[in-house]
Amino acid sequence: MDIIVCLKQVVDPELPARDFAIDPATRRQVREGRPLVLSTYDENALEVALQMKDHQGAKVTALTIAPQATVGDTVRLALAMGADEAVVIDDPRSPELSGPARARMLAAVIRKIGRYDLVLTGCESADLVERLIAPLLAEELGAACVTFVARIDAADGPLVVRRQADEGYHVVEARLPAVLSVTSDEANRPRLPKVKDIVTAKRKPVQIWTPGDLGSMADDGGVEVRDVAIPQRTGKCEFLTGDPAQQAEALALRLRELKLL
Amino acid sequence: MESSWLRALVVLALVVVAGAIFTRKLLLVYRLIRLGAGPVPLAPPGERLRDLVAQVLGHRKVLRRPLAGVLHLFIFWGFLVLLTTIIQAMGEAFSPGWTLPVIGQPPLLAALQDLFIALVLIGVGMALWMRLVSRPRRLEGQDRRGAYLILGFIGGIMITLLLSRAGQIVLESPAWAPGAALSGFVAGAIAGAPRAVVRGVFEVAWWGHLLIILIFLTWIPEGKHLHLITLVPNILLKKARPRGALAPIDIEQAEHLGISSIEHSTWKDMLDAFACMECGRCVEVCPANATGKELDPRRLHTDLRTHLTRVGSARLAGGEAADAPALVGGVFSEAFLWQCLTCGACVEECPAANDHIDKIVGMRRHLVMEEARVPDTMGDALRSLEARGHPFRGAGLSRTAWTAGVEVKTLADGGRAEWLLWVGCASALNERNHGSLRALVRVLQRAGVEAAILGDEEACTGDPARRMGNEYLFQQLAQQNIETLNRYGVRKILTACPHCYNTFKNEYPQFGGQYEVWHHTQLLARLVEERRLAPSEAVPLTVTFHDPCYLGRHNGEYDAPRRVLAAIPGVRTVEMAQCRERGFCCGAGGGLYWVEDRVGQRINHVRTDHATATGAQVVATACPFCMLMLEDGVAAREAKIRPMDVAELLGRSLAGGSAERSGG
Ligand SMILES: Cc1cc2nc3c(=O)[nH]c(=O)nc-3n(C[C@H](O)[C@H](O)[C@H](O)COP(=O)(O)OP(=O)(O)OC[C@H]3O[C@@H](n4cnc5c(N)ncnc54)[C@H](O)[C@@H]3O)c2cc1C
Ligand code: SF4
Ligand code: SF4
Repeated sequence: MDIIVCLKQVVDPELPARDFAIDPATRRQVREGRPLVLSTYDENALEVALQMKDHQGAKVTALTIAPQATVGDTVRLALAMGADEAVVIDDPRSPELSGPARARMLAAVIRKIGRYDLVLTGCESADLVERLIAPLLAEELGAACVTFVARIDAADGPLVVRRQADEGYHVVEARLPAVLSVTSDEANRPRLPKVKDIVTAKRKPVQIWTPGDLGSMADDGGVEVRDVAIPQRTGKCEFLTGDPAQQAEALALRLRELKLL
Repeated sequence: MESSWLRALVVLALVVVAGAIFTRKLLLVYRLIRLGAGPVPLAPPGERLRDLVAQVLGHRKVLRRPLAGVLHLFIFWGFLVLLTTIIQAMGEAFSPGWTLPVIGQPPLLAALQDLFIALVLIGVGMALWMRLVSRPRRLEGQDRRGAYLILGFIGGIMITLLLSRAGQIVLESPAWAPGAALSGFVAGAIAGAPRAVVRGVFEVAWWGHLLIILIFLTWIPEGKHLHLITLVPNILLKKARPRGALAPIDIEQAEHLGISSIEHSTWKDMLDAFACMECGRCVEVCPANATGKELDPRRLHTDLRTHLTRVGSARLAGGEAADAPALVGGVFSEAFLWQCLTCGACVEECPAANDHIDKIVGMRRHLVMEEARVPDTMGDALRSLEARGHPFRGAGLSRTAWTAGVEVKTLADGGRAEWLLWVGCASALNERNHGSLRALVRVLQRAGVEAAILGDEEACTGDPARRMGNEYLFQQLAQQNIETLNRYGVRKILTACPHCYNTFKNEYPQFGGQYEVWHHTQLLARLVEERRLAPSEAVPLTVTFHDPCYLGRHNGEYDAPRRVLAAIPGVRTVEMAQCRERGFCCGAGGGLYWVEDRVGQRINHVRTDHATATGAQVVATACPFCMLMLEDGVAAREAKIRPMDVAELLGRSLAGGSAERSGG
């Protein structure tokens, strides 16, 4: 079984709000000087792939589109956790690409890699939260698609996956090849890498391609971000005057006015 | 005493047989210990000799439990003194009228011997009392049969000695008789009997004495009495490391990371196991054990000993103990290993000078680095450390958020200062500790002490990673920080976190990071004593001080925070029953801040109860982790007591509003 996991590098979503900024030119989050991490659900997707590898054997390829200069830690973590090899599309503009454009590029890479039975993605990315990639990718590849997958139940015969539903699970059977978007679940808590694997990860193969290697592609996704704003939270301070009894009365009235009481 | 060639021959034969058995067993122990890895760097000889005198001859740690300590002191010194009677008896068996060279057998020696016969008998009585009547918790789980047997041996040796001496007095009126009051008294009681009976008593007692001693000898190299032999070398072979430091491993070169099998342990770990006397002092002070968890620091040694003997013996014979359980996960469950707070209470208490923490962290290293098996929430902390340089997932605060309202320069902004104030993640990323930090900065500014911070360039010192067993990550963080510190030419580090303090002081030198390191309470005490700070406003509060393990036990600093408190007018201090060397961990050490304490009672709740029981209004501490644990404990117990940092209390007593308004 050949599995490709799509990994997106995002600015650490746990960064303090102070460090969140938007670049007015690109209308994207400023990445310079911010720690970059694997997008949250992507680690779960990788874990699902690695469990497949542990249980029945599979070759796991980590795939990311990102400016190569910043990609080091992401790829190294994926390889240390157990991915067999990595493919990096070195595209300095990738953080600015829209979801559909990225889906098209991912599809092109996957076609170039050629061998795949399963493509796993996160169910949403920690920065853009468009929730588009998996379905669009499946469409491009002509593959089956299941979203919100918690775990794979069986893959020796037909592929049987559990899909998270509102208050339970759907058990879904899919034909291969398939694109699955993975959500987080008790069963796919990302593993810690072993130190030995961190060391050997440095020797695993990493292929670096450029967008030019993928052939020509229409690269706008038909949508464009026009404006992004950070919600402003403002505080206002009122002083109540008078003696304590008057203050208490005024306070009660104010609170009622604000419908807090 | 009458001697004959027959007596001499039988004695000789018995001694040779017993000696051979003894030597064979001891040799096995020696070879087992040699299976361990080395080398282990040793402490300076002077320090080791000093320890030997204090611990072995003076019983310093044993005497911390008065009843058990005194009884053991009696038995120990009794054995040293009564060695003379054994040598004397053997000598007489071969050559009548033989006496000890130089000393001879004066009545004064006889008096001393009698005194110690009495003291040892009293000691045995006290030991029986403890096992049958008072029954302290630490003796639960001891090998009871072994303990009674050994007491029987000792009692038997004394009673037979006494009877044989009495018989000898009646039969031969030796020159030493006038000194031997107790033996003389027993002699008086049997003097009336027919001479043949007295002779019979004497012979039975004499042979009995010899036999019990020889049987005892063959027994020593098994079980807890082996400490009679291993204790002295164990103390003499003390490791060359400050208490708070863990040994580094060379990750690139090491064939295995941590301990998963006996040959990964050092020979010192093995010697420790053979030196354990099963006294249970470590169990009694262990906060994890006291709150009902599986961790048992004595079992760490006794089970290691059993396992080592089993697996090691097989290996020495060229085979494998096929059905032996795995060391990690079998002999010691993962839960057992993850419950240790590395608080050092056991190490502090152990009269055999054993080191429990090294062994536990060694096995954790295997779990984390080779197996990647850690409790989930600890794994999250490790991932966060790796990705963000701090272990507090979801903190959402910047490292300088706390500086709102105070003026502190960062080194990156060109700040130059005598001190680098190392803030630490636990302080910077948890709002509760921001007030303590601001209080500290204000107090320093009052005293004219210049301190700058690293701000965003600070990364975790790596203490949690190292104690969780992730030596690899620790070393990465250490190297990164040392680079940053050296880039700015930092020489003096001041920190309000005992964990950071310990790591800088005791562990960074392992990687070439040499700094002068002070804990904030040490500097505050100095400033008060040099009158650079004059606490004048009364702070009328009753305060009890909670000792942070990494300030107190690991670094011996119990006084500085107390000196600061004593300098604050109005503060009345009271101590908890478990304080200073006996301080009870808050529950956060050893990386356990990141694990929910779900087995038995919660350690921080129990510690809160200790503080509340003093009746104090404030529980002062000097560690951001202790602060968080105590705040949580106080909230859960709905206790009236309030946790405060020593710097916050000091700030309140400086005239002119050094205190924080919101700090109440
Ligand atoms: C709240 C919620 C509601 C949803 N509702 C529905 C629904 O009603 N019906 C339905 O069918 N589905 C639904 N989904 C699932 C959703 O359609 C899929 O999860 C979607 O495919 C996620 O893609 P995205 O557009 O968010 O892409 P992104 O957020 O951009 O990324 C998603 C994934 O694509 C990969 N990826 C993106 N960029 C790169 C890159 N540069 N390099 C490599 N890999 C990359 C990563 O694996 C990433 O995690 C929902 C999801 C959520 C969270
Ligand atoms: S270090 Fe503390 S928690 Fe660990 S075994 Fe010793 S006493 Fe118990
Ligand atoms: S390890 Fe030390 S304190 Fe614990 S039982 Fe053994 S000798 Fe006593």
